[in-house]
Amino acid sequence: MARAVRNRAETNWAYWSFITPAFVLYLFVFGFPIILSFVLSVSNYGGGKMFGGDPWSLVGLGEYFKLANDSNFWLALKNNIYIVLISVLGQIPLAFVLAYIIFRKIVRWGEGWQAILYVPAIISVIVLGIMWKMIFASNGLLADIINAMDTQTFLTSLNGLLANGLNVTDDFVTKLLAISEPRALTGFTNPLAEIKDLILSNGYTTQNLDVFRSDMVNLLAPKWTPDFLSKQDIAMIPILFVTLWVWTGMYIIMFHANMQKIDTAIIEAARIDGASELQVLSHVIVPNLSGVLANAAILCIAGSLNTFALIWAMTAGGPMNITQVLAIYMFQNAFIGVPNFPLANAISVFIVLFSFILIGLTLLVERRYGGRE
Amino acid sequence: MKRLALVLALVAFAAMSLVAADKTVLKFLYYADSSQAGYADDMATWAKFKAANTDIDLQMEILFDRPYAQKLTAYAAAGTVPDVVYMWPTTNEASSLLQSKKMMKDLKTVLPADFLANFTSASLDPSAQTSKQLSELPQSFTFTTVMYANVGLLKSLGLSVPKTYAELKALVPKLRVKNVQTVLLPNADKWPAQSCLFSTISGRLLGDAFIDNVLAGKAKFTDKAFVDALAFYGQLYTDGIINISNVQMGYGDGPGLFAANKAAFIIDGDWRVGAYLTDKSNGKALIDPAKQASDFELLNFVAIPGEKNVNTASAIAGTGLGINKDLSGAKLDAAKRLLMYYYGKEVQTVKLETGAFIPTRTDVTSSKLEPLSQKQIKYYSTVPKTTYVLDGALDPTVFGPLNDGLQGIPLGAQTPAEVAALMQKAQDALPKK
Repeated sequence: MARAVRNRAETNWAYWSFITPAFVLYLFVFGFPIILSFVLSVSNYGGGKMFGGDPWSLVGLGEYFKLANDSNFWLALKNNIYIVLISVLGQIPLAFVLAYIIFRKIVRWGEGWQAILYVPAIISVIVLGIMWKMIFASNGLLADIINAMDTQTFLTSLNGLLANGLNVTDDFVTKLLAISEPRALTGFTNPLAEIKDLILSNGYTTQNLDVFRSDMVNLLAPKWTPDFLSKQDIAMIPILFVTLWVWTGMYIIMFHANMQKIDTAIIEAARIDGASELQVLSHVIVPNLSGVLANAAILCIAGSLNTFALIWAMTAGGPMNITQVLAIYMFQNAFIGVPNFPLANAISVFIVLFSFILIGLTLLVERRYGGRE
Repeated sequence: MKRLALVLALVAFAAMSLVAADKTVLKFLYYADSSQAGYADDMATWAKFKAANTDIDLQMEILFDRPYAQKLTAYAAAGTVPDVVYMWPTTNEASSLLQSKKMMKDLKTVLPADFLANFTSASLDPSAQTSKQLSELPQSFTFTTVMYANVGLLKSLGLSVPKTYAELKALVPKLRVKNVQTVLLPNADKWPAQSCLFSTISGRLLGDAFIDNVLAGKAKFTDKAFVDALAFYGQLYTDGIINISNVQMGYGDGPGLFAANKAAFIIDGDWRVGAYLTDKSNGKALIDPAKQASDFELLNFVAIPGEKNVNTASAIAGTGLGINKDLSGAKLDAAKRLLMYYYGKEVQTVKLETGAFIPTRTDVTSSKLEPLSQKQIKYYSTVPKTTYVLDGALDPTVFGPLNDGLQGIPLGAQTPAEVAALMQKAQDALPKK
């Protein structure tokens, strides 16, 4: 008995001897900033030297109440929750299914697909953000493709009107207006008279019909503007799409690597016993990888809550803060405009607490429903 | 042999250390756009300063636009402001803490009076700075609204330069036919619409007296006149004069598009002239001097219906260098030398010739100005009176909702009345003076 106690004490001593230096370092690097952040969040610190500069003191939880009453905070939180959801419920299931397809060799060149899907994860998110911003820009690739199709439709109708040459009458202009984009006419008080006048004053003739066609395309053809990045309720959709696209590959690698550890004999036995691929996936693979799934979810949540660079590069949280997330909201309060350091720190403390809650929930779910690896 | 080499290396290292120890380290946070034409000339002036002041170890950190503002704010927040800093005279976001917390020296107590006598009296007015002292010496007086016009493009399309809003609006379909935007106002960074356009709209329709009255509690942003000014701004988009895509266009994207004939006009500050001039390091110009002379003009913004203050434009004391208030001894001497060099006739002439700004130093002239710089000076004479730049007159918590609103109104996400209400709410929340 005494020996057992002594052994346990020795084990504990050895354990703490090894763990303490790293633990102290960890506390210093991670714990101290969180504590300092909380202290600053309940202070009236206004910048400058923290010690030896303007005096500051603790003033209470006022900034947290201010946060609760700030619509921008709730908007940023909502956007962050969207990112958490697309990460946990989008990236992980999608990556899991794709990893399974590669693992079970359901498609050919699985390793090649894996490499292709992983590529976005190895490119700087700033570069990716700028690239997608250019694709979604008003004169970007997406707009060019869609407008080229719209233009073709308009040109077909216009060519029909010009079958007998260019004869600028009221009837011709009325038909021209009928095939035009209604939004293109909003700037005119009297579209019929004004556009007729414009056509006549530009001196188009049958000899320069190509110029006429080109000009009418510029003026009246439907123009699709990819303005979804500036619409209140849908601005996050392209960002969520890019988030999904960037990180799914990383989880494919993670899941595929862990699937390869599963004893294939179990899978073969299940198949011989008549289990379908879906049953193998749900009864063999998922229970075996529940811990990996939980870890992936934790990574997803942590990554989602501090997401910054991609959105900063794509929209900088704008326009009008509609694509703002908590990290950008914190950054803006700390480094843009008039700095409000207590408020910025309150936001960062909230991010930490919110992460703990979500990670706690993930672990609970894993413990309740997860299998044993 | 190896030992000898080691000894020599150690001796050399020790000698270098001694030399370095003799030098006064001066940390300098400087603002410059490396893509702007005058950048190489600017850097050459600093190289010259270093060569002539071997006792100073000048450690320059050069940034531009948003990264500069963020870095400076971070330095100010941490209480580690560099020795010499490029800064703004008011609570513009980059200099917010420097001005409000008086983190810089009063240059009137640092620079000799006979040196300061070379500058315009307006630039030495401490009341023009939030700190109510000469925290920085404004190197220029900045006109924030200039309508850069591509008159060559207009002429080629048989169009003439508009003088009124109605004439400007009439150009829209005629330009759209040729796939040309009427006015560019890149506003993804939020501040350009406020600083480069709305300040002038507010000045013309309401005047500085209205803003003074709001600050004194005698008027409100929710008054009809101010809401109407915001509505007029929105009308620029609904009338198609400014394309909605400008709301998401980066500030840096404007000059290239304008120079490439993608728009007939661009609204920007006078500081942007430098973007179009010849870069002496490679001989290239965004708009070559011959074209500057024949095809481009700097105009006052068109007459707005109902404007009380005819042809006014917003303007403000310009940026300049400031010295950290904690400096003393050799460091302060070095900083003083740097400022006197920078504000000296030679460097200010380079600034004038590269289109960076028209200096407040009164004895600076040049016969080598490119046409656009000459037109910049001519432009000033078309402005009978200047009005407030709102981010220089209002508290940042008040112009913040305005900047947001100037994106929200064109997007239809906010009404002028809502933006005005948010501004008034922020104004009401300020401590009463």
